[in-house]
Amino acid sequence: MPLVRGSKSPASAAQPAPLRAALDSPDAESRWIAARALSGDADAVPALAAALDREPVPRVREAIMTALMRVGNPASVEAMLPFLRSQDAGVRAAAIEALQAMPGAVAPFMAPLLSDGDADVRLLATELTRNMDASEATRLLCDLIEREQHPNVCAAAVDVLTEVGTPQALPALEKCAARFAATPFLPFAISVAIARISGAEG
Amino acid sequence: MDDAKGGASYAVHISPEDVQRFCEFLYRRTGLSFTEGKRYFIDRRLEDRIAATGSSSFQAYFSLLRADADHEIEHLINSFTVNETYFYREEHQLRCMTSSLLDVIASHKEPGGTVRIWSVPCSTGEEPYSIALWLMENWPQVDSYNIEIVGSDIDTRALKAAAEGIYGDRALMRLSPDLIDRYFRFVAEGRHQIDDGLRNSIEFTRVNLIDSRDMALHRDFDLIFCRNVLIYFDDASRRQAAENLYGCLRPGGYICLGHSESMSRISPLFRVARFPDAIVYQRPETDHG
Amino acid sequence: MADIGMPKARVLVVDDSSLVRLYYRSALEQAGFVVEQAINGIEAMERVLSESFDLVIVDVNMPRMDGFTFLRSLRSSATDVAMLPTLMISTEAGLEDVAEARRAGANFYLVKPVAQTELVRHVSVLTGAAM
Repeated sequence: MPLVRGSKSPASAAQPAPLRAALDSPDAESRWIAARALSGDADAVPALAAALDREPVPRVREAIMTALMRVGNPASVEAMLPFLRSQDAGVRAAAIEALQAMPGAVAPFMAPLLSDGDADVRLLATELTRNMDASEATRLLCDLIEREQHPNVCAAAVDVLTEVGTPQALPALEKCAARFAATPFLPFAISVAIARISGAEG
Repeated sequence: MDDAKGGASYAVHISPEDVQRFCEFLYRRTGLSFTEGKRYFIDRRLEDRIAATGSSSFQAYFSLLRADADHEIEHLINSFTVNETYFYREEHQLRCMTSSLLDVIASHKEPGGTVRIWSVPCSTGEEPYSIALWLMENWPQVDSYNIEIVGSDIDTRALKAAAEGIYGDRALMRLSPDLIDRYFRFVAEGRHQIDDGLRNSIEFTRVNLIDSRDMALHRDFDLIFCRNVLIYFDDASRRQAAENLYGCLRPGGYICLGHSESMSRISPLFRVARFPDAIVYQRPETDHG
Repeated sequence: MADIGMPKARVLVVDDSSLVRLYYRSALEQAGFVVEQAINGIEAMERVLSESFDLVIVDVNMPRMDGFTFLRSLRSSATDVAMLPTLMISTEAGLEDVAEARRAGANFYLVKPVAQTELVRHVSVLTGAAM
């Protein structure tokens, strides 16, 4: 009979080196194991943040971000925010994904993020409002589109408002459409958002 | 299951824009989408869920859904899909296993080497036993390797039933009378127990997919079936479970999800792998910096 | 205007914004293309491995798998999909970003916001549907 009962896998044979030192290991698998072992450890946030900054291997980067996500305190959010500014689209995507999974911890940072000097950061941050309560998200996004100069940032905000926007958003959306009437896409996007929000009250 | 709370005597109005919002949320969150022709299906399910949650409006329901209050995502998805467990369910993945995946897996092993397959969650055992049966019946090289099949679940009562291996006619509906005759014995009218040899060859363990410690005890799998559970998890849990599953796979190992599930809604850790019978996902052989 | 009887070119639109996908899709369908969609690079890989397309339009900024990672995945595929024409769309207009798109294997690069007429013109050229 080729089907055999395996014995239960033994716990890892070797005693791991001190975990924070292992975050520095030349071996990716060791760094991965260390990051996972430190998951949720608030004291390890500085070490995890430092490791994240120099980590070249995507799956280890993901594990460090998961470890920080599990901590879920302001320090862990702060550790991840710099990666929204990364030149590497993959790093930005990973940071947004991890931050999306910690809506409670991210909430106090939303207003500053949405008024960040960097348009790319503002654009990415709009995505984080999707998980918020509808009224709060509407308020933040309307504040944004009222002062925002970049059509792409407005477009990102309008996309979220299409899902979560309350009727409070209608005046800001109309003004935004007027301001950007000469640009492609944004007038279209706003008309859809307005139809969705108005139709919901239909 | 009756979870209706104070059902309204009037129908809540759902506008076409509401349906659009709902469909886009569902597509974004799960990957499920519906053609125009299936719209009536959505309308009915939406009405049912609004009533079942006692929501006074579509907006009230949508807020509840977005917050996944009371596991509404799970209730909603269950209302769309039939989530029955039975032998040889999603047979195309079993076929993929013997037609494609095992060839790749076996090519990296010595003759007589061990192939490890995991069914998690295994519920009451239909899936791990199906894997065993299918291999015995369809894999020409089944005698050339040691095959370890592990079945795991968070529910200890389900595991107990799985170890007992007694099933009704409905669970066996996809099996031929010949298969039933050869691998099951009659226990009572409409109840069949799977062959002792098979029962004893599956290791059943309790595991919580989001508990890294639990999961770390399950290692070096060549193939994992993790079907119809991740879709219900929240963002953080899906992420954690996917990372744990990655660690349980050998480099190059494969993972199969449920038919309406996709790694696009779960994790970037795995490579998409297309085979004639199924799309499956692979832990990459090596890391790329 | 497409020839009567010519098979319609199939385009995959990949962007995490449902409004962007709707904007592109309505223009492309009106111009006679068959349009499918995906929200990120992983779903896009699943689609191109399951169905045949003549062009993939892919945004750079998408959660979970960005456009560049998708492109590299596509180009390193062992199957025919490695040769699939791609149009990359980004918010960046710098020379470095265009160069990076080329290195990743994009056939063409546009900067958001893209007007519907501009999109249709480029898609027509890239799918050989232009008269």
